[in-house]
Amino acid sequence: MSWRAKKNLEREARMLDRYDSCREAMKMEISNKWFDGFVRALYIARKDARVYYFKAPNFTYGLLMPASLFLAFSLAGQMNVALVVSGLPALAIMFGTMSIEAVAIVLEKQTGTFERLLTAPVSFFSLLLGKAISGFLFGLTIGALTFIPIALITGTHVANPVLVLIAVAYSSMVFSALGVLVSAFANWVPEAQMLSNLLRFPMTFLAGTFIPFETMPPQLLIVARLLPLTYCVEAFRIAVTDSTAIVTYVIDIFVLALFSFILLMMASKILQRKLG
Amino acid sequence: MEIIEVIDLAKRYSGFVALERVNLEVAEGEIFGLLGPNGAGKTTMIRILTGQAKPSAGRVRIAGLDIAHDIVKVKRHIGYVPEVSNLYDEMSAWDNLIFASELYGVPRSEREKRAKELLELVGLLDRRNDKVSTFSKGMKRRLTIVAALIHKPDLLILDEPTSGLDVQSALTIRNFIKELNKDATVFMTTHYIEEADQLCRRIAIIQNGRIIAVDRPEALKSSMMEQQVIEVSFSPSGALEDKLACLANVIRVSKGGDKFRLYVEDASKVFPLLIDFASESDLRILSLNTLKPSLEDAFVKITGISPNVMASEKELGKRSADVG
Repeated sequence: MSWRAKKNLEREARMLDRYDSCREAMKMEISNKWFDGFVRALYIARKDARVYYFKAPNFTYGLLMPASLFLAFSLAGQMNVALVVSGLPALAIMFGTMSIEAVAIVLEKQTGTFERLLTAPVSFFSLLLGKAISGFLFGLTIGALTFIPIALITGTHVANPVLVLIAVAYSSMVFSALGVLVSAFANWVPEAQMLSNLLRFPMTFLAGTFIPFETMPPQLLIVARLLPLTYCVEAFRIAVTDSTAIVTYVIDIFVLALFSFILLMMASKILQRKLG
Repeated sequence: MEIIEVIDLAKRYSGFVALERVNLEVAEGEIFGLLGPNGAGKTTMIRILTGQAKPSAGRVRIAGLDIAHDIVKVKRHIGYVPEVSNLYDEMSAWDNLIFASELYGVPRSEREKRAKELLELVGLLDRRNDKVSTFSKGMKRRLTIVAALIHKPDLLILDEPTSGLDVQSALTIRNFIKELNKDATVFMTTHYIEEADQLCRRIAIIQNGRIIAVDRPEALKSSMMEQQVIEVSFSPSGALEDKLACLANVIRVSKGGDKFRLYVEDASKVFPLLIDFASESDLRILSLNTLKPSLEDAFVKITGISPNVMASEKELGKRSADVG
């Protein structure tokens, strides 16, 4: 090999080394960026949990409304134990999480504290992720607070507790994301509550919570399949009564994850557009 | 070196132009003031600089970084103090500062030390465990400022830092801003012309979304030198503006308290006319002085807006915001 060819090879090797180290540095920066974003999201979630979420009235509201509805339907003789055990936690998660999530963000927008988050070195997605995480934790808590006593009181044999836990987690995630989306449209707290109710009440009666899917007319079944609560209730029902329908359960969980992602992305786009 | 570079910046909302072809440079280490009436574009400018809004056109570079591409990195260089406290009222002063340090990525080992130093600096260390909701307006403003300093920013952006404060608190904040300028560049908006004159090394006057003048306060005042100002007070005092405006060589008349300000081309020609006017109108001259033009005079000349109108607009805006 000539001296010139050797030199050329050495130079190329050095360039490749430099390219590799550059790529490594870029990879490091990207992974650091994601890690940093996630850590800041956790700080936001912790602050939200302390300031807004974990206060008695929020739990009361999340539990009272679904409990009253179930009581009314039970007195009318239209409920069985399986419907209550699978439906009540799903409804409590929806009512509690959506309410507090939407109200907390709108309240922050009103008081100006949202500005503090917007001007901090945190990406907009991390900011919303932080908000969604606090809602998710609230949903987990209210889900557990509802499911465990109901299962104990009714003496229900839970087919698969792990599947129940996963259902609680994904339900919390989807309604937290829906709460964030509601907050993107609302400027005032009453507006957020009104928008939340517009979504919650139709879902309550169309998602198989009180009326089993088997007895629903086909047209309503189509509508039900467009609602996230349907997949929560179905996942709960499988986890509680029939853990052999694992394929349906996995599809439910996948749809809930997809809903969560789409709702959060929509909320991010709309909020960013509204903020200018 | 410039810490802020604004090039052909424009911001349009549906059918409304908030900023139009704004060009601005702020050098490292200076206190730069943005002065203008309500709706002139000050808030939009701040929202863009702090990454709360995106420009419709143009470029903004802060600390050499383009906000369109590196907004998260840019925000690490900025400490932002809004006009109204954006602290969490439900949290204590201490928790607010610790949360701010977490958001800004201050290393865990330094957070408590830094929070303690800053609370000590503004005399709130003994109130650190009290909820912010129990603080006075002045205390909240001081805490909001130090919350913006937790990550030792290169650039401090202050929106109306003394608005709504009592005289003593406003003085404390102004002195504090001067102190802070030793370590950071200060970019501030204000509608108090006197404040801008006292604090700022350079001032930009913004009106209808356009920067119409940028210069040092003294240079802006000297643009008024072709006019002279006579301040006169009569006994008995009354509504004499229209009559005084009719005197030869008088360009404009304004009244402040019991004194009249006459903007004239040549003061020596107006003095005898004033003495004649007083004797003809059966008035006694209590005082008669010539004044150097103030920044307020320069502002009025440049914008055509009275500072009194600007102040009352601001108060009106605040009151309607409070009601809303």
